[in-house]
Amino acid sequence: MAKQTQKYNLITCIVQRGKGDEVWDAAKKAGAGGVTIHFARGKGVREKLGLLGIAISPEKEVLQLVVPDKDADKIFDAIVKAGKLETPGMGFAFLEDVKRAVGFYHEKKKK
Amino acid sequence: MGIRTRVAEIYNILAPYIGRLFMEQVKACLPIVLYLLVFLLLVFRGHMSNPWLFIPGIIFVLVGLMFFMEGLRLGLMPFAETIGNTLPKKATLFVLLGFTFLVGIGATLAEPAIGVLKSVGSSVDHTRAPLLYDYLQNHTTTLVIMVAIGVGVATILGVMRFLHQWSLKVLIFPILSGVLILTAIAHWIPDLRSLIGLAWDCGGVTTGPVTVPLVLALGIGVSRARGASDTGMSGFGVVTLASLFPILFVLLSGFYLYFSGSINLEVTKAATGAMSTGIGTMVADAMYYAVRAIIPLMLFLYLVQRFILKEIIPNGQEILAGVVFCLVGMAIFNLGLSFGLVPLGQKVGAAAPNAFAPPAMFYGALWGKVVVLLFAFFLGYGATMAEPALNALGLTVENVTQGAFKKKLLIHSVAFGVGCGIALGVAKMMFDIPLAMLLIPLYVLLIPITWLASEKFVNIGWDSAGVTTGPITVPLVLAMGLGVGTATSALDGFGIISLASVCPIIVVLTLGILVEGKAKK
Repeated sequence: MAKQTQKYNLITCIVQRGKGDEVWDAAKKAGAGGVTIHFARGKGVREKLGLLGIAISPEKEVLQLVVPDKDADKIFDAIVKAGKLETPGMGFAFLEDVKRAVGFYHEKKKK
Repeated sequence: MGIRTRVAEIYNILAPYIGRLFMEQVKACLPIVLYLLVFLLLVFRGHMSNPWLFIPGIIFVLVGLMFFMEGLRLGLMPFAETIGNTLPKKATLFVLLGFTFLVGIGATLAEPAIGVLKSVGSSVDHTRAPLLYDYLQNHTTTLVIMVAIGVGVATILGVMRFLHQWSLKVLIFPILSGVLILTAIAHWIPDLRSLIGLAWDCGGVTTGPVTVPLVLALGIGVSRARGASDTGMSGFGVVTLASLFPILFVLLSGFYLYFSGSINLEVTKAATGAMSTGIGTMVADAMYYAVRAIIPLMLFLYLVQRFILKEIIPNGQEILAGVVFCLVGMAIFNLGLSFGLVPLGQKVGAAAPNAFAPPAMFYGALWGKVVVLLFAFFLGYGATMAEPALNALGLTVENVTQGAFKKKLLIHSVAFGVGCGIALGVAKMMFDIPLAMLLIPLYVLLIPITWLASEKFVNIGWDSAGVTTGPITVPLVLAMGLGVGTATSALDGFGIISLASVCPIIVVLTLGILVEGKAKK
């Protein structure tokens, strides 16, 4: 088996239902190759916002992107900006190391 | 322990939320309003009497509906789901049916469109239709109660239908026959003829954003408690009954009032000082009316869940916010109706005959009529396409028929049916055709079609009529009808909604028969 030369990171982003496409567009512009989106339900933060919580939908979309190490920070920042994740209640994002990954092909840039 | 938020953050949270809700209403309502304005100002060459009141009126309609719908989601739906799920399991049949009856009544009273009946009543001509005028002016409460009881009875019957799995087909025939016979009698007695349009329109006015979710949740809960598998058809059928029974009750009560001599046929036009009340009184009236409409229902649901089901109320704060939203929304919506939507409809209705009738006759006798009929058809078509409930129905139909009846087909066929219905309603007034002459043949035609169609499609088709007439279409069409009625020699302006309800049923059922016939081959 070929030794993996490319280091990959996993970005997980959780936003309200309906916002997923917006966040993905920003990630794509920043260089992300693809995303897997699934639906989930959130609990915890919304309740702590008090009455403001009605503006937050408990239905969520979970986006998972596997991105090359060197692009990770750029894509992560783009996601945070697009999803307004700095505002409490808007969602979450976290970055993890990936030990092994299969199926992700880095596009060869035409030099 | 809460999270403290800065102002900028609050804005970030609220702005997309409010923006989304407002745009939903704009997308549904604004196209129709613009369509009417274009026709009023350009084609029929009328004018809006008070534009400075009209524009805020439309904005009020949008804002009011936005608050009201969101309030329903926050304050009503939690009750509907919890009660719908647990009441059928925990309560005795008697309690369940009693609850169903009261919910049917309460929900009807909370419907935003019910208020319109009262406000358009003042524009009825008392010389041409004295019975109708007197009923609407002096017996308004009776009318609303009759409609509400009709829905209550319909919901009981609907729930019993789910319990015992009765066929909707079997239920429709006797009820429909009864209503048609009463209509024929009303037609035969000239004094009672003006009652027909009102009664049939009341059927279309019920089954709005409050009644339908409540009744659906109850129906689904009952089906589940019975152990029946979720075929996706649970909940269908009650809308149909809730559209038919009010007609029965309004006709019967009209008969009773007439024969007991309570109706004053020699009535003179009541001093309508109501038109010149100050803004302050109107706002207070709107709030009072909203409280009277919504609080009883919400209180009732709360009491049932708390004391009969003995379930705790989760998210009490959110539910309270929902109730407040409903109150505020309904008050604002009703104000918007009186300033904006109803005058628009009336002006358009009054100006439309100028296209074909003397003295103006803008487009000549023949083409003028064609213009007006086409206008009416596309109004119906467009308004129906904008109805969000129709989209949901279309999805259900596509699922339930395993793709044989596509969602798009349903949406367009219903819209086409409504367009035809509205055009027919306007034609009724143009050519002074008695409503009974149109309704009875159409519904009689529906009897063999219903008999031929499968049970599944009978449910879908008949319900599609109740789904189409939403809180925007109903006031507009009612106001427009009354505008046309006053300008032409028609007996009264009611009846368009009833025709707009029957035509889609015919279209959908016929298509259903064809689709299923093809699938069998």
